[in-house]
Amino acid sequence: MARSWLDYKTDAWVQWCPGCGNFGILNALHRALAELDIDPSNLVVVTGIGCSGRSCYYIKGNTIHVLHGRAIPTATGIKIANPELTVIAEGGDGDMLGIGVEHFVSIGRRNLDITVIVHDNAVYGLTKGQAGPTLPSWWQTKALPGPNLHDNLNPLLLALASGYTFIARGYAYHVKETKELIKKAIEHKGTSLVQILQPCPTYNNIMTKDWYEERIYYLDQEDPNWDPQVASIDDFKNKMGTILEKMLEWGDKIPLGVFYVNLAKDTFEQRLEKVIPTYREYPPAKRPVSANGKPLVDPWILFADKVVKP
Amino acid sequence: MHGVSNSNIDLKFLIGGPQGGGIESAGQIALKTFVLKGYQVIGTREYQSNIMGAHSYFTIRVKPERPGAINFPVDAATVLDAESVLTHFTDVKKDGFMVYDSSTIKTKIKTIAPMPKPLKERLIKFFEERGMEPTAESAVKVAEENGVKTIGLPMRDLIRKVASETSAPLSRVSKTLNTIGLATTLYLLGVEPNWIEKAIATHFAAKKKVVDMNILAARIAIEYVDEHYGGPCCFLPEGPHLGKETMLATGNEIVAMGKVVGGLTMQTYYPITPASDEALFLEGHRNFELAPWAEEVLRLKKLGAVVLQTEDELSAIMSALGAAVAGARTSTSTSGPGFALMNEAISLAIMAEIPVVITVWQRGGPSTGLPTREGQQDLLHTLFSGHGDNPKIVIASGDHIEAYYDAIKALNWAEKYQTPVIHLVDKYLASTITSLHREDIDPLKATVERGKFVENPGKDYLRYKITEDGISPRAPMGKVPLTWTGLEHTEDGMPTEDPIVRDQMIAKRRRKFETIAREIPDSEKVVLHGDPDAKITLVSWGSTKPIILEAMKLLEKEGIKVNFLQLRLFYPFPVKPVLDVLTNAELVIDIEQNDLAQAAFLIRGYTGFTIEHFVKKLTGRALWDTEVAHAVKRIVETGEKEVVVSGGA
Repeated sequence: MARSWLDYKTDAWVQWCPGCGNFGILNALHRALAELDIDPSNLVVVTGIGCSGRSCYYIKGNTIHVLHGRAIPTATGIKIANPELTVIAEGGDGDMLGIGVEHFVSIGRRNLDITVIVHDNAVYGLTKGQAGPTLPSWWQTKALPGPNLHDNLNPLLLALASGYTFIARGYAYHVKETKELIKKAIEHKGTSLVQILQPCPTYNNIMTKDWYEERIYYLDQEDPNWDPQVASIDDFKNKMGTILEKMLEWGDKIPLGVFYVNLAKDTFEQRLEKVIPTYREYPPAKRPVSANGKPLVDPWILFADKVVKP
Repeated sequence: MHGVSNSNIDLKFLIGGPQGGGIESAGQIALKTFVLKGYQVIGTREYQSNIMGAHSYFTIRVKPERPGAINFPVDAATVLDAESVLTHFTDVKKDGFMVYDSSTIKTKIKTIAPMPKPLKERLIKFFEERGMEPTAESAVKVAEENGVKTIGLPMRDLIRKVASETSAPLSRVSKTLNTIGLATTLYLLGVEPNWIEKAIATHFAAKKKVVDMNILAARIAIEYVDEHYGGPCCFLPEGPHLGKETMLATGNEIVAMGKVVGGLTMQTYYPITPASDEALFLEGHRNFELAPWAEEVLRLKKLGAVVLQTEDELSAIMSALGAAVAGARTSTSTSGPGFALMNEAISLAIMAEIPVVITVWQRGGPSTGLPTREGQQDLLHTLFSGHGDNPKIVIASGDHIEAYYDAIKALNWAEKYQTPVIHLVDKYLASTITSLHREDIDPLKATVERGKFVENPGKDYLRYKITEDGISPRAPMGKVPLTWTGLEHTEDGMPTEDPIVRDQMIAKRRRKFETIAREIPDSEKVVLHGDPDAKITLVSWGSTKPIILEAMKLLEKEGIKVNFLQLRLFYPFPVKPVLDVLTNAELVIDIEQNDLAQAAFLIRGYTGFTIEHFVKKLTGRALWDTEVAHAVKRIVETGEKEVVVSGGA
């Protein structure tokens, strides 16, 4: 029997503020997991620090709540150690694009099969409303003593430049559509990004529900022939102009949906298998470490390159 | 030079030259020569933070049994460029010899671009005071005045001679420069040519053309020496280990070997000196065939380990922790600066109870400091790393054999106690090559343990179950839903700020460290070397161990009897065994390569015992046994509080 989204809920009290966009994201994730029928025992959710970091306590699976900015490297270790697990790394814009941005970039270079979900509300909620990396310059949300002096970063372009092979953007209050984006991201073989725009009703008094809903539209609704898949050099030549244009669009209109899918690149797991033939069958987490407590190797044979024979 | 018996053989020599100029290779050939001849060796490399051109040198000592230290002056120096001549002309003992290139001897000091300015200034002043020209030639003259035999090789001519006898281009032939110098030195030290040739063949192995060219270069060098210097005075007898299989490994390599034998399945790292060579060696051996005994049990022929180079040290430690929660047997490797970046994660690993081994190859700080030089400055840094109240196991290895077994033990402890284990090693160990025999690193002497690792946790599994010994069963991810966290938590890993649970969890983690303190025997925490009743006790830790053991022999000859308390485990700390030894001594001398005397500071904190006398070396150069012996003797005789030694170029 297929699982229901309720099978992914825990009994913990969800501590977010009323109206928080995180509720929609959590709900979309629960439903995506149910529709993909992922075994909670085989599911890994790694979260960083911030409001979204609490998500790991609200999802039934193998979850770990780590350090600020470090969800992606933790997820990297888990996925490499056991590539059979479905691994999701979640964090806010501050976590993923501020303190953890080096990992956000580097995972793209590996194309490891991980889904990165960025809860993007453009503020640091849990520390009471400081400017996040996606807040435009000169905007002053209500907790700021003065305007924001930093320009906003474009997570989609950063992901593209870093080598992500699936890039999508959703909106937290559109649970159904966001669920579909998350499903596609999880199913994609390679590093995928789902940036989810998320009003923070407590601290972001500019980018509100109304603000977003006046601007957002779906790429595939505007253009029924929208096809983000890039599978060849020709596709790249023909489509990248439009994809970049859409990724750059931000202002009166904000596009949502899947922007870019690249199926031509090998995953990190495949690369590892090429250099370690036993990797797929015996990855680091599922490999014997001894023979009944005795070492597996004889250093005098394995390290013969260091032995001087008379 | 040498008698017929090999028991008194104690040869010391150095090979100097520009970085990237084959000094390392020449050093290895020299070590192989003496190992083939039945001796034990150490060789250590001093180098600068530079890829090519800066001066570096390789110092070797040869004895019938494994030498514990190098020291100066040496019996011979192979110094083929002007900078090497000028750096080492006072490093050779009377009646020793110095092999130099007579074709570049007119070089003026001020024209040697890579030479450090302070050294240039000192040398120019030195020669000015003696009314001599500031050139390499003057250095050769001073060496001769000091009773050193100088052997000038016309390198340009000899290289041309090699070239004329092969079809190889001159550019390739000139790479045999070090072979010419080394062969000359080895021959004059009494090594017969056939051993030199065998070592060259062993070193370059399959590269037949390179073997042939280098053997030719060695023959031409030896012919020249016979013709112009009358050959060696006598021949070196064969050593006691003739015909024995011998491993030659650096500290970096031996730790990597320990990790593979200890069942490591994944290593992460970010490049840093002097740690990276460990990870690169692991990567070079990531696919392996199982030993016959393992193949028989597991019915498996081949396995592999993953070595992951990450974007920084934050990612190195976090991906190691990720792999560990997934069920891998994990380690990472770094030096002081990289470890500084890992600090926050250490704290997470303690709270979330995640097993990981962090190998810390110390170097000279603070900051970037002396990035390629020796230092023992990160004891307090590692021990007190991480925010919050957080104990972790810290073990320091004294030599290659300890480092090998400690690497295995650290993996066992990490998994048994689900906590970070910091394995403290240093640059000297990293770049020192030692000869090892089968009995030194016997694979069957090691055991691999995982503690309460549960492959099949039940539905009621609790990640942080409160237990009497403080250790909760650990299940890998992928079996049942479970939660790991850096927040304070209930037994199921859910976050809580409840005051009662907080106290229970602190008590549980404290009991875990009580278990560790109880289960690790005192003999693995601290070692007393020498006569327990000696009135003078030397205290030290880390790679000074074999150096101090050699110094003890020198002191004994001078009628000074000492014992040596080697600290191994810094947490949990063996308070009573340490205090028992220290209170039994009339004089306690602390020997460290850091200015704060960090171990003495810890001893005072743990035991209340205040050490009053110190020997320190802070230059980042290898500590010598003779330096230790002289410094200890001075303190014994004069009651001086502190002696700082600083030998080595």
